[in-house]
Amino acid sequence: MKRRAFMLSVGGAAAGMVLLPRLSFAEAGRIDWYTSSDTNILDFWTNIVKPKFEAANPGVTLNLVDAGDSAGQDAIVQRAMAAMQTNTDPQADYLETADPMSPKGALEAGLYVNLKESLSNWGLVNPLAIETDFAVPYRGSQVLLAYDTTKLAAADVPKTWADLVTWIKANPGQFIYNRPDKGGSGGNFVRRAIHEANGRDPKAFTLDNFSAEFAEKSLAPAWEILKDLAPSLFDNGAYTSGNTQSIQLLGQSAVTMIPAWSDQALQAISTGVLPETTGLVQLTDLAFSGGFSRGVVLANGVNKDAAIKLADFVLTEEIQSAILTDLGGFPGVSWDHVSDELRAKYQDIVPTTIPTFPGGDWGSAISDGWYRNVAPTVDRNA
Amino acid sequence: MTTRPPSGRAQSRGLIGLLLVAVPVGLFAWMTVWPIISGLVQAFTPTQPNGTRPFSPANFVEFFSDPYSLSNLGVTLWTCLVTLGLLLVICIPLALYLRFAQGRLAAYVQTMAMFPMFVPSIILAFAFIRVLGPNGTVDLLLNAVGLPKIRSPYLTPWGPVIGLVWDNIPLTVLILVSGLGAVSNQAVEAARDVGARPLTLFWYIVLPRIWTSVAVVISFTMLGLFSAFTLPYVLGPASPEMMGPFMQRTFGDLRDPEMALTQATVTMLFCIAFGIFYVRAVARNRGK
Repeated sequence: MKRRAFMLSVGGAAAGMVLLPRLSFAEAGRIDWYTSSDTNILDFWTNIVKPKFEAANPGVTLNLVDAGDSAGQDAIVQRAMAAMQTNTDPQADYLETADPMSPKGALEAGLYVNLKESLSNWGLVNPLAIETDFAVPYRGSQVLLAYDTTKLAAADVPKTWADLVTWIKANPGQFIYNRPDKGGSGGNFVRRAIHEANGRDPKAFTLDNFSAEFAEKSLAPAWEILKDLAPSLFDNGAYTSGNTQSIQLLGQSAVTMIPAWSDQALQAISTGVLPETTGLVQLTDLAFSGGFSRGVVLANGVNKDAAIKLADFVLTEEIQSAILTDLGGFPGVSWDHVSDELRAKYQDIVPTTIPTFPGGDWGSAISDGWYRNVAPTVDRNA
Repeated sequence: MTTRPPSGRAQSRGLIGLLLVAVPVGLFAWMTVWPIISGLVQAFTPTQPNGTRPFSPANFVEFFSDPYSLSNLGVTLWTCLVTLGLLLVICIPLALYLRFAQGRLAAYVQTMAMFPMFVPSIILAFAFIRVLGPNGTVDLLLNAVGLPKIRSPYLTPWGPVIGLVWDNIPLTVLILVSGLGAVSNQAVEAARDVGARPLTLFWYIVLPRIWTSVAVVISFTMLGLFSAFTLPYVLGPASPEMMGPFMQRTFGDLRDPEMALTQATVTMLFCIAFGIFYVRAVARNRGK
């Protein structure tokens, strides 16, 4: 064999060995944790939850894995489901945010731990946030209004939908929201208009009561409300294409008020994207919709008991306060279990209710209806 | 070129050649041709309420009878044509300068012209909002010298146009400069000697030589502009929207893949027209 060919084949074989799939097993005492959330959540866990938890539980480590997106995390859940059927190791213990209703049949098959029965801190959880016994709501966020206090005094801020509409019309060009499909801040502003047009009753809309006729009937008056607002919006009816762009316009002082996610607004204020003089306020007649992130523990994980400890740990005051101060999210526990100082600081945004709006077919109907009815109505060059 | 007599060696070589070319051809068939065919089939066989899928142009009838879809198609064509026109107006003088100028300044200009190639469009979009957006850098500078603010192009159809022009300058300039390589210095000097003015020079000496390059620029940029997504998404108005964001929204948000495929087919028809234009321009050049 020629030297060159020899070198090539040896090198190739060596490279091949490195690339061969390696068997790996879950380690006892190492919680395999997965998330499909954004980088800020992974950073929060890496820098705050992990060191605190490991210090409090010697011998237990946290292996934080970014599953990328929800499709990536779904693959992990599917693997755990398959592992349960074959009685093998799922190599996963804890999912940062997951819906125990998915995949279909997993809950009934016993893939998820009943956290209501297992957690000693379950009693602290905000009852408004509980959706199921199998997932622990540990952080939330809600859409609220962010405004420039240098242009609008806190005393004059609109606190009801009717006042908000009056204010927008009295101050043309000073308000903007994003397209409802491009980010939740504008999306939930539009949903608040739908609630307004339908008796302010969030229970009027459920995942199951969707029908084309009902959607037509209930959404049409909301489009009228929003069309009526359009000429008074920024640039005679412009809509940004995302949460961040709205925040940028508020930061550039191009508008006075925007709807914004609470966590994004708080984070923008703490990083200086929005000035210190930014005010936050929630409507009192009916709040903007919001949502919670809920962690689940896999019943067949090797470190199930340690993972339950972790789920308990994220409900402690230490972590819940950090969610407010470092992450800018809402605590998952009731506000009574947050320190007095923090409760006073955030009293304007403490939700008394957290309305939700169902997704599914409603999401498509709202987006399509808005694009066809609200977006094109104004001649912007006029 | 003389043809070699066929031999066993040549045949095995031919086989290896075919095998080598089989990988890209196979990939092309699998990743491009097959999705096109399956997409066309889906667009032309709409699902009926009873679950059957008979052949019918109903999706296309729906598209072309829907004023909303048509206005989106219209704004896409408008954006593409305006962007293309601006690109040619900006890039032909730039390419001429780079072809004939010498020295340090030309090198700097070339670096500046190539710079947009290395800027991801999402960064460009947010920089645009910072600079040309309301109360952006331009407004601040104008305000500093006591001038009124500009009417910001952000969230108007001009937003994507400005972004896309900037983004497409490098490719256009590169193609035009390479085309200008065919213009010999002697021809230019000879024309100057007999007293040709710059405009005459451009019209009779330069333009006929770079006509193929211009044709390539037109087809390449049009194909790129039709599929533009990020800049129209971030900088454009909510309505009408360009086909790129419209298709994505129809597919992902309205969960209507059939209609998204119909929109894609309509878009593809326009792209095919420019594709044919490109192939003919290149073929004509080869034939010379």
